[in-house]
Amino acid sequence: MKPVTLERVAWICIIMLAVLFGVVVLSLKVGAVPISVADLAVNLGRVLIGRSAQLPSEYSLIVFDLRLPRIVLGILVGAALSVSGAGFQALLRNPLADPYVLGVSSGAALGAIIAVIALPQLPLMSPAAAFITATATITLVYFLGRREGQLDSTTLLLGGIIAASFLSAVIVFLMSTLPGHEFRGMSFWLMGDLSTPLAASLRWILGVGLLIGAGAIYTTAGDLNIITTGEREAIHLGVEVTRVKLVVYISASLLTALAVSVSGAIGYVGLLVPHVMRLLFGSDYRVLIPASAIGGAIVVVVADTLARTVVAPTELPVGAMTAIAGAPVFLYLLRRRMA
Amino acid sequence: MRRRSALRLLHCIALAFLAVATSLIFAGAARGQTSSITVTDDVGREVRMVQPVKRIVSLAPSVTETIFALGAQDRLVGDTDFCDYPPEARQKPHVGSVMAPNLEEIVALKPDVVIASKAGNRIETVRALESLHIAVYGTYARSVADVLQSMQKLARVIGAEEQGDKIAAALQARLDALHQQLQNVPRVRVLFVVWRDPLISMGQQTFLADAMRAAGAESVITSEQDWPHVSMEEMVKLQPDYLVFSADDRARGQQEFAAIVDTPGWRDLRAVREKRVAIVPDAISYPAPRLIDAIEVLARQLHPEAFSSPSTPQREIAR
Repeated sequence: MKPVTLERVAWICIIMLAVLFGVVVLSLKVGAVPISVADLAVNLGRVLIGRSAQLPSEYSLIVFDLRLPRIVLGILVGAALSVSGAGFQALLRNPLADPYVLGVSSGAALGAIIAVIALPQLPLMSPAAAFITATATITLVYFLGRREGQLDSTTLLLGGIIAASFLSAVIVFLMSTLPGHEFRGMSFWLMGDLSTPLAASLRWILGVGLLIGAGAIYTTAGDLNIITTGEREAIHLGVEVTRVKLVVYISASLLTALAVSVSGAIGYVGLLVPHVMRLLFGSDYRVLIPASAIGGAIVVVVADTLARTVVAPTELPVGAMTAIAGAPVFLYLLRRRMA
Repeated sequence: MRRRSALRLLHCIALAFLAVATSLIFAGAARGQTSSITVTDDVGREVRMVQPVKRIVSLAPSVTETIFALGAQDRLVGDTDFCDYPPEARQKPHVGSVMAPNLEEIVALKPDVVIASKAGNRIETVRALESLHIAVYGTYARSVADVLQSMQKLARVIGAEEQGDKIAAALQARLDALHQQLQNVPRVRVLFVVWRDPLISMGQQTFLADAMRAAGAESVITSEQDWPHVSMEEMVKLQPDYLVFSADDRARGQQEFAAIVDTPGWRDLRAVREKRVAIVPDAISYPAPRLIDAIEVLARQLHPEAFSSPSTPQREIAR
């Protein structure tokens, strides 16, 4: 394994950003109205020099009000999910940990449903309520997962799984007993869905939250490298294990809650992307975290592009795409690990 | 040589002139037609849309059927994958499924108005289209009378008022005649099977429950939910007089019935043992003009005695 230098990290990031750029261009190109790359360049140029008024109106609606915001949302959600996945995997020292294992998505779903029941007229309330209940679930699971003042991986995982199944049961109860509410949208949301345009203000919140959360996890990257070899050793080497764990737990949870509250549960991204990055670039967290962020963005943008084109004009939930592709890859990695 | 380039320059200038002129003309034309009206749709939303409506996208089969019935099919520029009646509806460009239509496809069709159905479409789709400044008109019916009213209202909005009133009057006359005929027959208690496994029926607040009433029947389900899951035990206790299935043809409906004859629970219903089953066209499930046909078919199956005299002019309409 090559030593990790700033130069190497920079090169990996540049290469992956180039791949992401290619994927974004492709995703902008395909869809209901196919658009040539030349047109795309010309019109992007027009927008950049502030002459967006010259664009044909339905073209500008499709590319700049539908496709581009959706791609940006995919990038943000993908990056948030896989960075938090990498964080949880280090924290729980369990490579099969996933942002949803800790009950976050069920918590978010419950919040979204409560918002639909209580305030059906306010569409912006749904992500806000989802974020609040996701954070509450995470806090609850955190206290469930503590033993003798320490965060215990096994207890935390079990607490998360139990919380998730309890909350799912509450959701089913609410959905089947309360009459006259608009729950059909929920089934899409539960599968992970990027097709509903997000208010620009929410996109900003998501973007800033991503930078803060991922940044906080990145500051602990060096310590995480040591912790993954063993907590006791890390303590002996002078790592503040408790503080690092708390920072990673809070940041990873925040990232998951943000992603789930705007896009529902997009599975397998947080689980698989860090693994693939580990195979490609080694398990040093200083590389792994930025690589996972970009890798997650690439995966979600690709999956969403497929979701809106494979059975066009009908749309699939993006979560269905990531699960179809992700489950076999996951099984492959699992068998490899056992061998 | 120089002459040729001068010519080319002249060419360019002429072309540019032409382009500017045509764009001005089009801009003028566009300005000329931007008269718009604000209407309240069936869901109570205020919808602002240009007049006259020239390009319509339908997001539900019932809406597509209604637009064809109103004779506005030439202005229907897109519908869903599920719009199969009338058969010409399949030839229209499709925008995807009812639950997850493709927004890009809708935008590309440049609709003046998108007609949605509260019973079929998701609120998220409506909100997304609104955020793109596309007018969305919502249809909704909780009774058979609502279905006719909703159609008349839609007809006014898209400028087919005359046709809308004409059809509504004809359908109302048929409903009135049916009401006359069924006046002296007792209501039959029915279980309408929306979905067989798990068993789903409809609550009282739906147009389907009202369609049962119009056909001289009464749903045994009194749920406040629109599409309640119903337990088999409850059915055994309630013992409906008749089961009602909807199917695209009779053979398909008989298959549905054959599937349940010997299953536990179902075979404990007297209606199943005595083969008291009515099979009605699929149209019963759509709040559109053919609903009345389906109601007539159902009424004839449930109350043959009321139709024994051959003097009824409605005979031919019901198939």
